[in-house]
Amino acid sequence: MASVAAALKGTRTALSGALGTWLFLAGTILVLAVLLLPKVISNPAFFIQILIYGVANGAIFALIALGYTMVYGIIELINFAHGDIFTLGAFIAIPLIGVFGFTDSTPFSVGVVLVLLLVTAAVMVIDGGINMAIERLAYRPLRSAPRLAILITAVGMSFVLEGAMYVWRGANNVHFPDLLPGTRISFLGASLGVKDLIVIGSAVILVVSLNVFITNSKLGKAMRATAQDREAAQLMGININRTIAATFFIGAALAAAGGIIFGLYFNNIRFDEGFTAGLFAFTAAVFGGIGNIQGAALGGLFIGLVQAFSNAYYQAALTDVWIFAILILVLVFRPAGLLGMQVPEK
Amino acid sequence: MRLSKLLAGLALASVVLAACGTTGGGGTANKGTIKIGVDLPESGAETSNGIPTLNGVKFAVDQVKSVDGFTLQYFNLDDAVNGVHDPQKGTQNVQQFIDDKAVLGMIGPFNSNVARAEIKVTNQAHLVQISPANTNQCLTKDIYIPQSLSGVPDVDCKAAGYPFPKDLRPTGTNNYFRVATTDDFQGPAMSDYAYNKLNLKKVGVASDAEAYGKGIADTFSIRFKKDGGTIVKRQDFPNASHVSDFRSFLRSALAAGAEGIYFGGTDSNNACVVRNQMKGIFPDSAPFMGGDGIVTGQCIKDAADKVVGMNGTVATVAAEKVSGSQATIDAFKKAYPNSNDYGAYTMPAYDATKILIAAIDRAIKANNNNMPSRQQVLDAMSKTDFTGVLGHTSFDDKGDTTNKVITVYAVKDASKGWEVDTTVDLSHGL
Repeated sequence: MASVAAALKGTRTALSGALGTWLFLAGTILVLAVLLLPKVISNPAFFIQILIYGVANGAIFALIALGYTMVYGIIELINFAHGDIFTLGAFIAIPLIGVFGFTDSTPFSVGVVLVLLLVTAAVMVIDGGINMAIERLAYRPLRSAPRLAILITAVGMSFVLEGAMYVWRGANNVHFPDLLPGTRISFLGASLGVKDLIVIGSAVILVVSLNVFITNSKLGKAMRATAQDREAAQLMGININRTIAATFFIGAALAAAGGIIFGLYFNNIRFDEGFTAGLFAFTAAVFGGIGNIQGAALGGLFIGLVQAFSNAYYQAALTDVWIFAILILVLVFRPAGLLGMQVPEK
Repeated sequence: MRLSKLLAGLALASVVLAACGTTGGGGTANKGTIKIGVDLPESGAETSNGIPTLNGVKFAVDQVKSVDGFTLQYFNLDDAVNGVHDPQKGTQNVQQFIDDKAVLGMIGPFNSNVARAEIKVTNQAHLVQISPANTNQCLTKDIYIPQSLSGVPDVDCKAAGYPFPKDLRPTGTNNYFRVATTDDFQGPAMSDYAYNKLNLKKVGVASDAEAYGKGIADTFSIRFKKDGGTIVKRQDFPNASHVSDFRSFLRSALAAGAEGIYFGGTDSNNACVVRNQMKGIFPDSAPFMGGDGIVTGQCIKDAADKVVGMNGTVATVAAEKVSGSQATIDAFKKAYPNSNDYGAYTMPAYDATKILIAAIDRAIKANNNNMPSRQQVLDAMSKTDFTGVLGHTSFDDKGDTTNKVITVYAVKDASKGWEVDTTVDLSHGL
């Protein structure tokens, strides 16, 4: 038993350090190359097509994963309700878009863009506010309670949100107006939709702005300090409660934007969409290194690609198996994830 | 004053007594009342299923009015709880029918899972039950998907997650009948339609990986190959209700030469999201096919601007396609003018009621024109040989109709939604 335990402990550090990172990256790329290269050569245009889908889906996962990773980084909570905050964003947007009288048949115009930006901003604030309220009511009182208590509370909040959305919009898919242009352009033999570009572009803009915000702003600095050592940060005069509330707000705002992007992209959303989307996003966050912003974005992208390639080249029935097998391998051999964990020091 | 009132009362009483004393004359119903129990989901989201079906029963009873001197009545109960059909409510309803001595048979239920709960109860009371709409094969057959249809070994009901028919019938004899045929014919019927009518030679097939969805996708595939076509791509999506992106599958099917897509599954498992995502990948003319899981209003909503070109099978006869039935449909629509009054199961319910009444009539005659027992009605029911708006109906020893017809619905005009396109008669085998 002791030797097994030692061996297992060995695996957990097997791929640590700079060399480990390179080995891990090289291994991942090698496996992808072996599996995909023959397919790329036989039909490059098809490969690019699937790549586009994978990147677009990955961009949406990344936006959700950011919220998981930020919250985990700062209070070590897996906020299970986060996936539902994502769905809620899309649900709130539908009636707001309806106010402007936009439907599927509304032609794409500057007006549509302006309204969408306005609605997105409003929904980001509303959804962020809801997440802040959840933190204040359900998580803050339990912050010093055992980890398990707050975790169960998060699972409970997830059910509360899903239940509320079920009562609100029912069990079926809800149609999200198809407002983006359906124009498609030829790209290296594949067909690239303007929709794909908008989805990928807006996700990149959001991730980059978040990164700039975290590294350069005063609040970002406070968030990093709180994540590193809450007590020391407090001693330095940082308002911990406000910083944590801001983290929940920003995470939810990104998820809300993700929800609207999802809605505009797929035009259908259901009350429990966030359950699986959240699970994949959480996997992405762990894969990238929990607490690590760039890691979460990369992890989201990676999961999106695995999903698209599995559905196109292999068995769709095994797609989830692939994704979670990857999660297990990462947890066993490189618990710190792709770019390394950034969690409070003990 | 007083006297005249008394006299008037006596006169009235004598009239009533005289009326009671008359026997048989001119079809006057006075031997008592026979009730037909009707169990359907009538409220909430189920209104559009249950009410048009109930109307079919009402219309038939109102037409016939009485049988051999007995007044006919329907006794309808709603099996929906909070707007959703509920097996437990269904069993409570049939218990009420059983407790009422005048109920000699019942029409319903609408949903197969409700039937599964009810048959156990009605079977012990020897109460005839005839459903206008149930299509799950395990209510009557042991095999869910036979090897002859799927190409893979028999999937029996237990493996598909359903009890065997004998487990539903504690007395060992059958009391359950239906005028709809079974779901296992849906895949083959659509295959013939796709190959012969839609002229498809290569099809991509996917399913939601559930017993129903995978079953019809498998049976479609094996039949399509027998017809001479090719299945160029096959995928099964477990947790399909949580899959948001089917485009990788659609692209790979297109790359393999697919001219259309068959999806075995239900709208709640995103079947019609698949249809919507064909936009921008497949040409507009490429058809989308499926079973009764897509012949729904929700499917129309999910498919959004891609509704035209969808085709779905339903395991029941469309009276519209039976010659000579139009007069009855017109008469019904005159009596029930609202467009929501008529549905796909109105005429099946009408025929089911007529079949039950005919059995009651035979049972009365066999019982020297007296009120028959439920067992006598059941005996008469098994000998059904009836021609009505669905065509010719008789029952095999399991209670299945010999009139095995699958109706193909299609969306040709977005504003009209699902319309009957054609029927495929499988009564003489596949």
